[in-house]
Amino acid sequence: MSSKQQDPIMQVAAEWWTKLREPHAGDDVVEQWLAWTGEDERHLQAFEQVSALAERLGTLDPMTRHALVRDFARPAPARRRWLPLAAAASMAAAMLSGAVYLAWSQRAASVTTRVYQSGIAQNRDFILPDGTKVALGAASSLRVTYRSGERDVEVRGGEAYFEVVHDRSRPFVVIAGNVTVRDIGTAFDVRRTGERVMVAVTQGRVSIADRGVHASPHDTLEARAGQRVSYDPNASSMTVDIVTPAQVTAWRSDRLEFIDEPLSVVIANLNRYASKPVRVADTDLNLLSYTGTIRTDAIDSWVDALPRVFPLRVSTQAGQVVLSDARHTQR
Amino acid sequence: MKSVTLSMHVSDIEQLFREQNRALIAFLQCRLNSLSDAQEVAQEAYLRMLTMDNREEVDSLRGYLFKIAGNLAIDRLRKRKVRSEFAVVQAQEEPMDEHSPVHHVVAIEQALSVRRALSELPVKTARAFVMHVIEGRDFSHVAQTMKLSERMVRYHVAHALAHCRAQVDETEVP
Repeated sequence: MSSKQQDPIMQVAAEWWTKLREPHAGDDVVEQWLAWTGEDERHLQAFEQVSALAERLGTLDPMTRHALVRDFARPAPARRRWLPLAAAASMAAAMLSGAVYLAWSQRAASVTTRVYQSGIAQNRDFILPDGTKVALGAASSLRVTYRSGERDVEVRGGEAYFEVVHDRSRPFVVIAGNVTVRDIGTAFDVRRTGERVMVAVTQGRVSIADRGVHASPHDTLEARAGQRVSYDPNASSMTVDIVTPAQVTAWRSDRLEFIDEPLSVVIANLNRYASKPVRVADTDLNLLSYTGTIRTDAIDSWVDALPRVFPLRVSTQAGQVVLSDARHTQR
Repeated sequence: MKSVTLSMHVSDIEQLFREQNRALIAFLQCRLNSLSDAQEVAQEAYLRMLTMDNREEVDSLRGYLFKIAGNLAIDRLRKRKVRSEFAVVQAQEEPMDEHSPVHHVVAIEQALSVRRALSELPVKTARAFVMHVIEGRDFSHVAQTMKLSERMVRYHVAHALAHCRAQVDETEVP
């Protein structure tokens, strides 16, 4: 919620807008509205602003409207069924392709470590022994260590979405590179691309700390549902912006959503789903920023369309898709 | 005698225009979601007022003006519906490529601020708002789909609209 105080006149103007909009609203409604506009000149002004905003939003381009309707006006899609751990394990055993394999070792009676890994283009859901649900993205790897006093999950690469069973006596901590995420009763997504980490919260709160060598103990912040925190080892601080739960978990429905992210990060994550790896040949292309959706079943057509928006060339070399800077002279 | 009555009537309408035009346009923009349509319909409403032949039966000129304008707006919405159904058939013949990067680069600036504002709202509030304002569903349709009363739908839409407006104000400040 915005911290900004809602303007009471604007609120009333918006209420009038919805009342007056009814095509068959009675004459008395119109009369009452006219009386209200006569009370104070700011009333009609606020009403005009509300009307103008509604018109502007109602006449956005069809693509934007389509996307907003898809993300906000449809009921939440049926949740994927979470496989209990045992089922996931037996499934993994059955799938010798190595899509998911679990390795576990009993270091001490009270410490259990498991490694969860997924193959390219393979998302996997499973449940940890404490009931915490994990959705693991493609080409991702987690090391889960449960001790009596703590539950540690290391994101070694890729992306995972957690619905944590809260246990005050046994904090749930996710470590991704220099970033630690401590749950305060929560569902959240962690994506690690090299040393860049993105944490997006869909429910509850988490506390996020920078463990980097140059970080001070004060480099901790709390993120709440609807917030996304990005950590870049080259930047001086973590940045916070806003995301919808639908955007955060879009990858679970085979769509990768990016909001203002460098092309290098986009391509690295796309490669977790691509049958043919994509390589960025010119490093200056990595500075380009991309916002949009990529369907994991239509990666090729997305790549083919890139030269229409970015100054780059797409070519295929030795089974790799190569993106090179079109501004450079043809070699 | 007759010409005196007519010129009195004309000056009444002129006065009505001066005093009520802004409210009339706002009323019509709300109904039609289009300022240019609102201006056209208002013109037509004044024309009808000028040529009305039942002056003595009308006790409130202002009430009558808004009634005529409201009816003209209903006609226009009806015509628009016929046209948009035709347009939908046409649009389906062109593939929608929402995942192309071209689309996103163009639309994202606008969409992002709306998205931000909507994502700060309760799910139901955002849903009712998007269905009504963005998708163009009427309140009864939204109420039925969401299993809410129309009053609640209006409440959600109003709340979202005021919230979005506040966010826009915030971003417009340099």
